[in-house]
Amino acid sequence: MTHILLQLGQGFLDCLTPMNMLMLFIGIVIGLLIGVLPGLTLVMGVALALPFTYRMDVTASIVLLSAMYVSGTYGGAFTAILFRIPGEPIDVPMLWDGYTMGRKGQPAKALGWTLVAALGGGLLSAVIMVVLTQPLAVFALRFSSPEYFAVLLFGLSSVVALGRGSLANALISLCAGLLIACVGTDETYGAYRFTFGSRILADGIEFLVVMVGAYGVGEVLSRLETGFATKPIDKISNARTELPTLREIAALKSMFLRASVLGNIIGLIPGAGATIASFVSYGLEAQFGKRRREMGTGVPEGIVAPQAAATASVGGALVPLLALGIPGSGATAIILGAFMLHGIQPGPQVLATSAHIVYAVFASIFLGLALMCVIGYFAIRPLVKILDLPEAVVSAYVLILCFIGALSIRNDVTDLWLMIGFGVIGYFFERLKFPIAPLVLGVILGPLAESSFMNAMISYGNDWTVFFTRPISGTIMAFTVVILLLPFVQHWRARRVAAA
Amino acid sequence: MDKSAIRSTLPYVVGLAVAAVLFHFAQTIDYTPRPGMLGPDFWPKIAIGLMAVVCLFEIARILLGLRGETHGVGDVLEKAEDDEAPPTTYPWLLAGGIVLVSVYAVAVNILGFLLSTFLFLAAFMYLGRYRRHGAVWATSAVVTLMAALIFMRIAYVSLPRGVPPFDAVTDFIRVMLGG
Repeated sequence: MTHILLQLGQGFLDCLTPMNMLMLFIGIVIGLLIGVLPGLTLVMGVALALPFTYRMDVTASIVLLSAMYVSGTYGGAFTAILFRIPGEPIDVPMLWDGYTMGRKGQPAKALGWTLVAALGGGLLSAVIMVVLTQPLAVFALRFSSPEYFAVLLFGLSSVVALGRGSLANALISLCAGLLIACVGTDETYGAYRFTFGSRILADGIEFLVVMVGAYGVGEVLSRLETGFATKPIDKISNARTELPTLREIAALKSMFLRASVLGNIIGLIPGAGATIASFVSYGLEAQFGKRRREMGTGVPEGIVAPQAAATASVGGALVPLLALGIPGSGATAIILGAFMLHGIQPGPQVLATSAHIVYAVFASIFLGLALMCVIGYFAIRPLVKILDLPEAVVSAYVLILCFIGALSIRNDVTDLWLMIGFGVIGYFFERLKFPIAPLVLGVILGPLAESSFMNAMISYGNDWTVFFTRPISGTIMAFTVVILLLPFVQHWRARRVAAA
Repeated sequence: MDKSAIRSTLPYVVGLAVAAVLFHFAQTIDYTPRPGMLGPDFWPKIAIGLMAVVCLFEIARILLGLRGETHGVGDVLEKAEDDEAPPTTYPWLLAGGIVLVSVYAVAVNILGFLLSTFLFLAAFMYLGRYRRHGAVWATSAVVTLMAALIFMRIAYVSLPRGVPPFDAVTDFIRVMLGG
């Protein structure tokens, strides 16, 4: 433990350079703005920032992206509470109690609860992240290909089972993502798969192209179709934050802890993320909380539960990325990309080879949370002012950033065409209620899952039972089966209730 | 049969057709088999098979009128939102947007990044029904120059110069920015 604390102390020193602090500040402000702006999602924002990091030092680039990731979970609460506009899907539960509290004449108090929840959840999750990463990395040294495959399968199953909407549509979306990831040259045989004679397709399709296209261009097209008809925003000239008293916070301490730990655990699961954490935490509070009957009427529990869980999920999501090299979400996949651009492969070895970078990132999360709250407290009015910008103008800028993102990957206009193609696919997915998250996770985790599956098959003579007979992979596979059964159990229960 | 049911099956019919086409291409993957090893077509075929089975299941479920679509766990935890009227949609705007981004992809190699971006920004704002002409052209110019400064001078991202005579514009701006 002393060793960890010493390294964390060094991490703080490394993080406190002018460049890193500047990146931290910029990351926090941009993350908050992304959260505030509807139509610009957290993942999309982090993806669009990646090209800016090409020439940066590795620590500065990871600090920038992780700061955006942390503060992006908080900024959307402002507009959800003040204007009933959730900047992110994460903030939808904030409409139920946060906005209602605001309507009851206490928007400042609602914003205060949000700030305390984001800070509390974030800090607790950062502590867990620091404590857990090293032991998990050491434990992961025991992992072989069957264990890696089991973890990846669990992640792919979670994104299908824990999401919203039709399970069948989520599965189709996931399969589409896995197939997109197959395009290119096969690692084992060097065979071309689905390349149709194209030179650039032989190198595969970059996940960034899919992600920026499906989330960025797709979302802009969807909003363009409505004529950028977001409702006019009431002028809030007195937007401010009023912190709850210590006594009020103490009354909710166990709830804080529950939501933060839950958010952290959900963040740990590859495939789940801040949105799922926010919904699950609110749902559990509404079903089992002390004031469950008052949820939805503007009670602090309905604000703290989703916000604390959403921010806490960030620390959780960084653990599998750093300890196992497995990105569990779109945002962590981009952070993985930033690491790899600088020649660093996160995973069990990273704490031995690049511990100073990892601990600087840890330190930046602590500093970022504090800075996020200071900026959120004092700069709420200028931040929500960005909503005065016409949507057509913001969307045009977003598209340009998407184009630059695509062009900068391989300096090839084919990537631009692919991105536009995925943008159109993303639009149709949204229109037909096919979730985009499984598609993107399929593209990101597909190659890792395939290579660990093939390696396991080669190592164990095509014996597929190896995934179930080895203790660690068997346990993870059991969790996978449970998580896949959950929607069916829930469906069966709902039908029984309806029949009764 | 109910027309709306047939319409609902359409996405799954398309999915099934895509799966069939991809299966055909997966069959034609060229490789030299190695004894005791799965081929490079194995993994894609699993994904194709799963996709086809789910599409078939959904088509059958809709056509047979079976109730009860299974949803992800997230749905239960989400409170029902107030029913809001769906927003009015303008398909011509969507078509215009797709055409505009496609034109940009064609133009960027000819006009270069800077000129095509400037024109795209202005065109997109007009398409999005923003009509403050001064603001449209001024912000397009400023954002293009900012992008040039950030990506060409600071981040050193290689962006298309365009073909003669348009490359001269890119070079001129690059010189103006000190490059």
